[in-house]
Amino acid sequence: MIQIKNLYFKYEDELVLNNINLRLNDSSYTAIIGANGSGKTTLAKHLNALLLPTKGTVIVDEIDTKKDQFNVRKNVGFIFQSPEDQLVHSIVEEDIAFGLENIGIETDAIKNKVRTILRLLNIEYLAKKNVNMISAGQKQLTALAGVLVMEPKYIVFDEPTTTLDNKNKRNIMGIIAKLNKKDKIGIILVTNLLSDIKYAENVVVMGEGKIIFNDKKSKLNKSILKKAGLDV
Amino acid sequence: MFKKLTFGQYTYKNSIIHKLDPRIKIITVVLLSATAFLMNSYYKFAVFSLFIFLLMILSKINFSSLLRNLRPFFFMFLFILLMYIFFSRNELDQGIRTIWKFILFIIIASILTFTTTITNMVSAIEKLLIPLKMIKINPRTIAVLIALTIRFVPSLFLYADRIRDARLARLGNLKTPKQIKLLFLPLIERVFKSASNLSDAMLSRNYTEKRTTYFNIIRLKYYDYISLSLLLMFILFILRVV
Repeated sequence: MIQIKNLYFKYEDELVLNNINLRLNDSSYTAIIGANGSGKTTLAKHLNALLLPTKGTVIVDEIDTKKDQFNVRKNVGFIFQSPEDQLVHSIVEEDIAFGLENIGIETDAIKNKVRTILRLLNIEYLAKKNVNMISAGQKQLTALAGVLVMEPKYIVFDEPTTTLDNKNKRNIMGIIAKLNKKDKIGIILVTNLLSDIKYAENVVVMGEGKIIFNDKKSKLNKSILKKAGLDV
Repeated sequence: MFKKLTFGQYTYKNSIIHKLDPRIKIITVVLLSATAFLMNSYYKFAVFSLFIFLLMILSKINFSSLLRNLRPFFFMFLFILLMYIFFSRNELDQGIRTIWKFILFIIIASILTFTTTITNMVSAIEKLLIPLKMIKINPRTIAVLIALTIRFVPSLFLYADRIRDARLARLGNLKTPKQIKLLFLPLIERVFKSASNLSDAMLSRNYTEKRTTYFNIIRLKYYDYISLSLLLMFILFILRVV
């Protein structure tokens, strides 16, 4: 379980997150939705300890993000908006192995895990390809493989479909839903598109650094979305 | 212009050069570049160029993409040549040799990057720079820095291409210094944003300056020693005999 208590985050004297309290259960699918500048990406970065609270706490499976970033990052994977900027190595299989090398997995085990993930996502044909010569959709799948291979308990997706066409978008959203339903991975999807929250069970709506709605998707209504500055 | 640029990008091929230990390849690049720097007669240039041509064939490099990679340097070559024509015409011959050397340097470096994956390059640089640990410099940091530079060269050209198209659509051309500034400022901004995103992406996957395991373990084999010996013989031959 991820528990956020009285979280405040200041950036250059500007209060970006203002008293956030949130609980994300294991294997749940939560969408965090809000207009640009609402603080949703800042909040998401706290879950992977990329940002640390100015005040308050973020606890991931009983680990305080301020105290142990290494184990927090092992438990919470993060997929960024632009696949172009998150691939470190030039060859697909080597990029997938990057995280495993960092956490000290042995060479044979790395090779097995990489092979399994490539098969799972049906991208074995990409293994030896140069990341600069594959499509945006394939890059996003490679980024996802690089996170999945570390077997995280939760994955944060920060607007993962922004740079994708409709076909790739449907594919990625389908995979995310399957990871939650079949593999019981907790999903936190950050988006500003209502169409992206189709598979989410819970929705958190953010506006001006505050949570203005946090409940089941079925309870979400137009007035809340309008209040958050989202097109209905 | 930049879309098809594959400068410095690894391409998977089943070749002898691909199989060589990356440390041997890096040492080869250093030794061949130093040799090219020391050469002065056209005869030596011809023999040396033939050797590089042989390496290109052995690497199974795509010749057309290699030529395409030389295209962005055309203006630099032209500039060097014009400098010699205007200011030192009696040494024009020297100018031609300088350009020839540059072309050879680019081809030698391309052979390395075409045939070596970034992971292997990082491992090799880490191992070659181990002595730096004595002066408290972490070789992994330098290795990752070099590797990321190579990885992001095409992205840089891609961003430049996109910004250039956007600017051309609004300005019509990019000829005056002010218009060129409008091309470079957003490019620099984009590069910094990319660097920030990349560092976040690396941290999110637990990157640290220490690592204990490797996806590819590099080990010197008998053909690495043979290749290095052949290379040293060739260099001695070209510097002493030819």
